[in-house]
Amino acid sequence: MKAPAYKEFLGFLIPNILIIGIIAINRFVLQAGSEGILVFSEFIILPILMGILAAWFWRDLKLSSKKLIWYSILNGFFAIVLSFFFLGEGTICLIIVSPLIFAFVTTGAFIGKVMFKKSKQTLNISFVSLLLAVFIVDSISDHQYGNMVSDEVIIKASSQKIWKNVVAFDKIDKPNNYWLFKAGMPSPMQTTVTGYKNGAGRKCIFSNGYTFDEKIVTYEENKNLTFDIVNQPKDPEIMGHIDIDRGQFLLHDNGDGTTTLVGNSWYKLHVFPTWYYDLWAESITRNVHLRVMEHIKVLSEK
Amino acid sequence: MFRFIVHRLNFLKTIPFFALVYDSCLKIGVWLTAPEKLSWFDEIENEVLSWEGTNVSLHKFGGTQFNYGTKEMGHLHSNGLLDILFNRRAKQELLASGKAEIHHVFKKSGWISFYIATENDLANAKFLLKRAYQSMNQ
Repeated sequence: MKAPAYKEFLGFLIPNILIIGIIAINRFVLQAGSEGILVFSEFIILPILMGILAAWFWRDLKLSSKKLIWYSILNGFFAIVLSFFFLGEGTICLIIVSPLIFAFVTTGAFIGKVMFKKSKQTLNISFVSLLLAVFIVDSISDHQYGNMVSDEVIIKASSQKIWKNVVAFDKIDKPNNYWLFKAGMPSPMQTTVTGYKNGAGRKCIFSNGYTFDEKIVTYEENKNLTFDIVNQPKDPEIMGHIDIDRGQFLLHDNGDGTTTLVGNSWYKLHVFPTWYYDLWAESITRNVHLRVMEHIKVLSEK
Repeated sequence: MFRFIVHRLNFLKTIPFFALVYDSCLKIGVWLTAPEKLSWFDEIENEVLSWEGTNVSLHKFGGTQFNYGTKEMGHLHSNGLLDILFNRRAKQELLASGKAEIHHVFKKSGWISFYIATENDLANAKFLLKRAYQSMNQ
């Protein structure tokens, strides 16, 4: 292999091995037995370091900006593919994370390009050490984030008529509109219950057959159905990323023959930065709500 | 979009790395939609680096910063917006000749802006940078 091609290859190989290795050690050794929280630095600091490291291997190749961006995106893509095979990440999660990875690896590559042009080794070592220190501090810090998403629809029916469709409903046949559901993310299909009372079991069945096991904790007929999620599917898209804790349907009689149906969900995120992932979590939760609530509306207005 | 971020979401620049990452997003956007622009930007960078005493660094608000020694001559954001610092008299002269526009943020300063939209704009971009270099080199 000629020297430039060899260096180009190393710029892909070494950063990917290093980054996947660090994430694997962090997740399976340092956080073994815990819930395996994915901290923000794994999505920000490590991709930036990956870009810087790649730029170090490519520093003598005088890569054009076009090529540097293309190589950075390729590097990010390889990291995503490796995460799929070695870290067991789900496809939808990787689709969600890919814009962050591409942007941060590219940022790192351009930081590295300028760094290694100047050959100020002290600055370079200080900067990279600082990034690694942030990664370590972030990894061992406590991370907690919970949120509640609320949606409402107005239904032209009485709360008595709506109630039975809230507690349980038959299959949703309507095609999905939300792009992530169309892309293969499971969408809610059906809900069953073991009884119409407090403490009864409830199951929310998704399009791929996955089931959320729920327990009714508040059963106020025609008013309030609150349930705790006692078991969620062991799916790589969900496990270690998000815990859905509780769901709730509230019915308010508007006094004009219509009823406002409010759907609330509480969840905990285990992936950081939350400013990015909560955008997705909120959007997905909202679309799960709307799919179910629109189905309840159709059934109740028949 | 760039204008909106710079004017309305200006506080975001205080978040570490935000400006650099935003500029990378601009780069990826240009790479996807008008990759030839990246070659023009490289051409400008190589031209400036061929002048004695110059170097480049990352601009704190994103983009490539052109320096003469330790002083900034100007910077190029990755959407093609070139910002250069002149004295007030040179600025007025460049504005009057149509070779530059009022800076997109600091309208009353010595800064000017010039948007590189086509290949024909390259010559003017290089001219402006050369002029800034010469004024610092004097």
